[in-house]
Amino acid sequence: MDVPQGGSIISPQTFPYMVAGFLTLVGIALMFQVLRGNYGTPDGTEPGDEFQSADFTTMAIFAAAIAIHVVLLEKAGYVIAATISFWGVAFAFGSRKFLKDFIFSLIFAVLVYVIFSLGLNINLPAGIFDGITGK
Amino acid sequence: MDGFATAFTLTNLIFGLLGTFLGTLVGVLPGIGPALAIGLLLPVTLSVEPTSALIMFASIYYGAMYGGSTTSILLNTPGESGSVITALEGNKMAKAGRAGAALATAAIGSFVAGTIATLLLAFGAPALADFALTIQPAGYLALIILAFATVGTLLGTSRIRGLAALGVGLVIGLVGADLQSGALRLTFGNMNAIDGIETVTVIVAIFALGEALYIASRFKNKAIDVIPLKGKAWMTRQDFKRSWKPWLRGTAIGFPLGVIPAGGSEVPTFLSYGVEKGLSKNKEEFGKGAIEGVAGPEAANNANAAGALVPLLALGLPTSATAAVVLVAFQSFDIQPGPMLFMNNPVVVWGLIASLFIGNALLLVLNLPLIRFWVLLLKIPSHYLYAGITTFALLGAYALNNSTFDLQVALAVGILGYLFRRFGVPVTPLIIGLILGPLAETQFKRALQISQGDYSILIAGGFPKIIYAILILVVVAPLIWNFKKTFAVKK
Repeated sequence: MDVPQGGSIISPQTFPYMVAGFLTLVGIALMFQVLRGNYGTPDGTEPGDEFQSADFTTMAIFAAAIAIHVVLLEKAGYVIAATISFWGVAFAFGSRKFLKDFIFSLIFAVLVYVIFSLGLNINLPAGIFDGITGK
Repeated sequence: MDGFATAFTLTNLIFGLLGTFLGTLVGVLPGIGPALAIGLLLPVTLSVEPTSALIMFASIYYGAMYGGSTTSILLNTPGESGSVITALEGNKMAKAGRAGAALATAAIGSFVAGTIATLLLAFGAPALADFALTIQPAGYLALIILAFATVGTLLGTSRIRGLAALGVGLVIGLVGADLQSGALRLTFGNMNAIDGIETVTVIVAIFALGEALYIASRFKNKAIDVIPLKGKAWMTRQDFKRSWKPWLRGTAIGFPLGVIPAGGSEVPTFLSYGVEKGLSKNKEEFGKGAIEGVAGPEAANNANAAGALVPLLALGLPTSATAAVVLVAFQSFDIQPGPMLFMNNPVVVWGLIASLFIGNALLLVLNLPLIRFWVLLLKIPSHYLYAGITTFALLGAYALNNSTFDLQVALAVGILGYLFRRFGVPVTPLIIGLILGPLAETQFKRALQISQGDYSILIAGGFPKIIYAILILVVVAPLIWNFKKTFAVKK
């Protein structure tokens, strides 16, 4: 790390080293806990509940929906990005009514865009619709 | 009294009303809490008058607790951690057809406790602020470390995991340029990270995306089962007789435990439940739907929330996730809670306290008649609910700086939030570490600048010594005690 010379008595590295030391100690303690068989209880369950393995497909769809939103937001515009992510999340949560969900997603995205961008002056990228909205 | 003049302007009343409405809404809906709601609204409110925005946030803070008790009673799914105990007796009462009485004692108890506690806040916070003016940087650092230790070790099931969450929060708080020297820390050459990781982005991502991801991974097919509400939400004279003492006892337990950093609302609500169970003449009813078991914890929960505002306003130290977000809200308006707040921003702070009284009254008047409406909201299909939450979370993360870097951070933190939930690591210590970490470093540097680098200043004087003594008594001693016990069992 580049540390500028002079100035304060305490180096900008001091506090991070203290945090690092703290994390190392906690890390070692946690390691011992896990080695002794304390793997942690998932939220909303009790120790002794039957172990339920996570549904990774669902999680992957959910994460993908967000990732698509991140990629598309500034390239294609808010409405398209939000429609796809809303639709994707609804799908991940088990909904299989594709057309109904799509229409709902589109209406939701357009409403959010209009309310926030035109009504509340929050800058959301218009994307490919740049020009239509008059901004 | 000038505070009421501020709070009673039309704009502020509307914002207060909006806040109570939104607060109850997020309290009722599963998956959204007050911390997330305030985090999401921050980018939207930056153009609003600070007083109005803060009044709205405070109303959300109070409103969420009213909403949380509704879902606890009718659904057996507490909307937030302070309502977990309410579900024990409240849901049993609802199943026995006494939902109306349970809802009424919860709402009226919350009102009574909230009003008394806000009164205590109005007198207590300025007094504490006067005292806080005499605290030196070393004393402040001691207070922050005490807050770290209690929040880290009193929440959740595992102390080590709480402290680990705290450490992760501290690390995220380090990212970016050092305020005094300008040295870049943990940015790994990324220009976007120079200004640090946006606190609001982390809060929104960890509560909204982390929670949604977690729910998606295991509970997505869980059907919601609402107990229908028969008749009016009101209580009989007999119910009232059995409720008023628990309300007052709950307030007496909840408020002080909110002022000292005792790690949120679990401890006081649990204590209150225990006290009511011990004192009740109808012990056999406990576990089957005793009204005292709803009245006491609900009052304790509300008084606790008001109590948490005392250190927040007077010291600038948040002790819960929601209080931490309120602190960020203050800071985003360039108002620094702490000893100087009552001198520098009297209009804001007294307007805020007055609006708490008004908000409490509004909540009581609005909620009992509107309960049917709130129950209706629970019928929103969960896939639309979570899709909506996700969309708003992404919007909030982006709108703050108009940067896709913040969205990438949000996705990463969302996955982190999932892992925390999966492995039983509490989230609140992370938020506290993230927000108080930079403050701790500032006070640490200030103290050492005064002493010219002599570390003994950190424990010089009476105040830091007292705080560290409390720390050892409350946190370190039980740790050693536990360690000894497990060791003895092994031998």
